[in-house]
Amino acid sequence: MNRHMARQKISEFRAKSILGRALAKPYDGVSIDTAAPLDTQLAALADDGRYVVKVDQAVKKRMKQGLVKLDRSKAQLAEDIQELASRGFRYCLIEPLHPHDSAAEHYLAFAHDRDGTSIAFSKQGGIDIEDAAESVQQLVATPENLEHIAHELAVPVDFLTAIRDTFDNSYTSFLEINPLVSNGDNPLLLDVAAEVDGEAAHLAREYWTTADFRTFRNQTPEEKVIAELASTSRASLRYEVINPDGAIFLLLSGGGASIVVADEVNNRGFGTLLGNYGEYSGNPSEAETFGYTEQLLLSLLKSSAKEKVLVIAGGVANFTDVRTTFSGVIRAIDTYADKLASQGVKVFVRRGGPHEVEGLALIQACLEKHGLLGEVHGPELPMADSVSAALAHLGVTA
Amino acid sequence: MSHFDIATLRKLEPVVVCIGSHPGIIQSMLDFDFLAGHARPSIAAIIANGRSIERYFYGEREVVIPVYATAQELPESLREQANLILNVASGRRVLANTQAAIEALPNLVGGSIFAEGVPERHAIQLQHIAESRGVWLSGPASVGFIIPGIVKLSAIGGIEARHLQLSRLLAPGSVAVVSSSGGMVNEIIRSVATSGHAVSFAVALGGERFPLLTPEAVLLAAEADPNTKAIAYFGELGGEDEYAVAELVKSGKVTKPVLAYIAGSVSDLFAVPPQFGHAKAMASRKAESAVAKTEALNAAGVHAGKTYGEFIAAIAALPKDDHAASEVDVKTIVRQESGLFVNGISHDKDNDVQILGQELLQFADENSFAKIVISMILGKQTRSQELEEFVDFCLRLLVDHGPYVSGAVNTMITARAGRDLVSALSSGLLTIGPRFGGAINQAAATWFDGVEHTVIPAELVEELAARKQYIAGIGHRKYRADRPDPRVQRLLAFSENLPKRSYTNFALGVEAETTAKKANLILNVDGAIAAVLLDLLHESEGLSKAELAQLVDIEAFNALFVLSRSVGFMAHYFDQRRHDEGLFRLSPKDITPIEISEHN
Repeated sequence: MNRHMARQKISEFRAKSILGRALAKPYDGVSIDTAAPLDTQLAALADDGRYVVKVDQAVKKRMKQGLVKLDRSKAQLAEDIQELASRGFRYCLIEPLHPHDSAAEHYLAFAHDRDGTSIAFSKQGGIDIEDAAESVQQLVATPENLEHIAHELAVPVDFLTAIRDTFDNSYTSFLEINPLVSNGDNPLLLDVAAEVDGEAAHLAREYWTTADFRTFRNQTPEEKVIAELASTSRASLRYEVINPDGAIFLLLSGGGASIVVADEVNNRGFGTLLGNYGEYSGNPSEAETFGYTEQLLLSLLKSSAKEKVLVIAGGVANFTDVRTTFSGVIRAIDTYADKLASQGVKVFVRRGGPHEVEGLALIQACLEKHGLLGEVHGPELPMADSVSAALAHLGVTA
Repeated sequence: MSHFDIATLRKLEPVVVCIGSHPGIIQSMLDFDFLAGHARPSIAAIIANGRSIERYFYGEREVVIPVYATAQELPESLREQANLILNVASGRRVLANTQAAIEALPNLVGGSIFAEGVPERHAIQLQHIAESRGVWLSGPASVGFIIPGIVKLSAIGGIEARHLQLSRLLAPGSVAVVSSSGGMVNEIIRSVATSGHAVSFAVALGGERFPLLTPEAVLLAAEADPNTKAIAYFGELGGEDEYAVAELVKSGKVTKPVLAYIAGSVSDLFAVPPQFGHAKAMASRKAESAVAKTEALNAAGVHAGKTYGEFIAAIAALPKDDHAASEVDVKTIVRQESGLFVNGISHDKDNDVQILGQELLQFADENSFAKIVISMILGKQTRSQELEEFVDFCLRLLVDHGPYVSGAVNTMITARAGRDLVSALSSGLLTIGPRFGGAINQAAATWFDGVEHTVIPAELVEELAARKQYIAGIGHRKYRADRPDPRVQRLLAFSENLPKRSYTNFALGVEAETTAKKANLILNVDGAIAAVLLDLLHESEGLSKAELAQLVDIEAFNALFVLSRSVGFMAHYFDQRRHDEGLFRLSPKDITPIEISEHN
C-alpha cells in the first residue's frame, strides 16, 4: 500500500460484504480472480440461476463501457469473464440477478466532512444520475434527517442507521449506492462503490485490508517498481506516466513544488510534451532516490521523442537533505550516463535546502563529466523559471 | 471560532514540549532561538521512550533537553509553563499523544502536528478536542508555524541556520504566508525575502484532507494582526477550502490584499484525476479543480495568479519592508565538538575539580563520608539528616557477615592462589548478584511496584507463590518470627517516625502474610534496607516517584552493599595473605559424583 494515498477504492465485493454484515443479510455475490482457475470459483453457483457479471476494479460508468453483463445463465459465465479478462481486467463479480422496477431506483451516498457524516440522496438514480444532478440533496446524518431520507426513498430508517454506523466504524471515507432499489423492508443495493481511509488500515482490520484495494490503471513496469518502493519507505515517492513518448521528464521533490513545476510546463502550453508527473519528499534515503531516479530514467530512455530533457527541480526544502538525496540521483545518472548521452538528453536542475551548496556542486560535476549538463541553479533562480531553459533547449519557448 | 491569534503569540515566551524526537527540527528551533537572541531554548522537554536526555547546541554551547515517557510525567512546573506543543511522532499515535498532551498542559495555546498519515477520523476528533480546550493545532502534515524573531515551531523556514538568515526570519516583516504545502511555504518565504520583504508570520496548514487549522482561520488572524499588510496564499487542487477564503474577501471580513496561487492546473492532462503528492490533492469534482478555485478567488477580489510566476511577481510588487532592503549578512554558528559523554557528577573548573557543584576540598571538609556516598549515588547533594544517619549505619552494618558467604570464600580462594588485592577483591565483587547481596535492589523493585499499583500484600504473596517465585527481601536461614533478626529491628527504627512510611508498611504487610505460612519467612536485612531507604528518599529527601523508579532501574539500591562489603572482602584478602597457607584445593570427599541413571 502506498502510505500517501489516503483514500483508497476497495472492491465492490468487499464493500457489499461489509454492508451485508451490517444489515444482517449476508452478501450473495462471488468474487472472481481471472488469474486463477475459473472452474473452482464458479462451482458453488446454482446451475439454473440467472446472473449479473461485472468488472470489480473501481471503474466508473461500467454499464456505458459494456463492463456489466445482465441476465446470464451459468453456462455463459466463463465466456463472459474471459472476455472481460481479455480487456485487461483482473477482478470480476458475479451476483444473482435481482429483477426490479427501474422506477424504484434511487441514489444514496455517504461522505465524511468536518461536521460529521453527510448523506447525499435522490429519488432518481441509476446510470443517468449525473444528468439529474440537481435532484441530489445533501444533509448531515442526524436522526431527524435519517427519518426524512428514509421516508423520501421509501426504505426503513433502521436500514439507513445501520449503514451510517458501519460507514463510521469501518473508516470508510465515501460510500455510494447507486442504484438503491426500495423494496419494502428489503431494499436492494445493486451497485456499490466505496473509498476507505488507507491510513486507518491498522484500525479497520475486521472490515477490510489493503488486499481489497482496487485500481483500474494498468501500471507501467516503472510505475509498479516505484509503487513497491514507496510501500516500504517512510518517505513519499509518487510516479505517474502521462505520455510515454513525452519529451520532458520531471524529477521533482515536494508535494506542492512538484505540482507548481508541472503546472508551469502546462501553463506555458507544453503539457502535451510532459512525460510524467511525480515527486519525492520526506527526506528519502540515498538508496530510495537511486531506485526512484533509475525507474524515471528507464521511462525517459523508452520514450520515442526525438529530443528529451530531464528537469530536476524543487523548492527550498525545509529538512530534506539535498546532498543525500542528490547522491542517489547522481548514482542513477552515472549508471545510465552512456545511454542518456547517446540519446542527447540534457539535464536542468533547480533546487534548495539543507546542504544545497554541496549537493548542487556534486550534480554539476556529474552532469559535466557525462556531457549531460543543461543548467544547474540554486534558489536564486525563481522556481517558475526552472523549466525555462529546458523548454528553450527543446526549441519550444513560447 | 478560531483561537489562532497572532497578537497573543507575539507576546508569548515560547515554552515548547516536543512529542517524539526529530533532532534536525529540534536543533533548528534552538538555532532560531539563539540567533534571535533569546535567553534560553524554547524547547523545554521531549516526550519519548528509552532515554532520559537528548543533547543539542544552543549557539556554540552544548545543552541537554530532558526526556519524559509521557506528558503526565512532566514535572509540575513545566506542565504549568508549557504553552506550545510540537508533535513529530508517527501518524498512528498522533490522536492519543496529542490528546494526552492537551489534557496534561493547562496553559497550552497551540501546536503543530508534523506526521502524515493521520486517519481522517482522528483528525476530525482532534479538531473537536482542540476546539473545546481553546487550543489551535496546525496539521496534520504541517511543517509548522513561525513569527520572525519570536517563535519557530517545527521545520518551517528550514533546518539550517544559514537558511533562517537568508529567508530573513529573525526580524518581523509585513507579509503573511499561508500554504497547504510545507515545501512551498518555505519556497515562498524565500521569495518574499529575496524581493526585499520579510514575513509577518507564516504557517503550513498541511496537505491532508481536513487541516485542523483552516485557511479561513489563518486569514482572519492575518486580518487582525497589525503587523501584517498583505497575505500570500498557496493552495492546491482538491477540497473546497478556497471558497471560504473567497467568501471572506467578498464579504469584506478580510480587507488586506490577498495574493494567491492554486496549484494543479496540470491535472487536466490526466484522463483520470490523479492523486498528487498530498492526500488532499485530488480533484474528484469540477469545483475542486485548480482552475475553478482560481476563478472563484479572482471573482471575489483575490489576486489569484494564473501562473506561479504571476503570483511571485505580485508579491515582489508589494510595498517593501524597510529593514529587508539590505543584503543578509549570514552568521555561522561555530560549535564546539560534541562531547563523547555527558557528566553530572564532576568536572574541572578553573583547574579545580568540582564535585556535585562544590570544590573538592570543601566538599571533603564539609561532608561526612555517608553523606558523600549517598550524594554521589543520587547525583546531587542530599540534605536529610535521617538519610545520612541511615546510610552511615548501613555502611557499618554491611561490612562483613562472616567468612562463609560466597563472596568472602571467593576472595579467600583468590588470595590463596597468590593473586593481588584488586583481583581478589574483584572475584568477591563478581559474586554479588541475585542470590548474594544483590537482593536489595530486587526487593526495592517489589516494594516500589507494590505501593505504586496499590497491590494488596496477600495478593502479591499468592501470585508469587503460584509462580513458585521467591520474594526478594523475605526469608532467613536462622532467624524466625519468634526469634527476630536484631539487625532488622535496628534498620526499621530509621523509618519509624516518618508520616507515611508506605514502603516499610508494605514490606511489613508482606512479611505478615509470609510468616503466617512459614515462620522463617521474615523480612530480612535486604528487604528492610530497601524499604527504609525508599521511605527516606521519598519522604525525607523529597524524591519523586519517577526518580525512585529510575533508581530501581539503574540498580542504585545495591550500591551500599557493594561499597561496604568491599571493605570486608579486603579484610579477608589481607587476612589470608598474612596466614599464607598456599593454594587451596578441594579433596575428592568434598565432591559427590552423580551416577548417570540407567532406568528411563
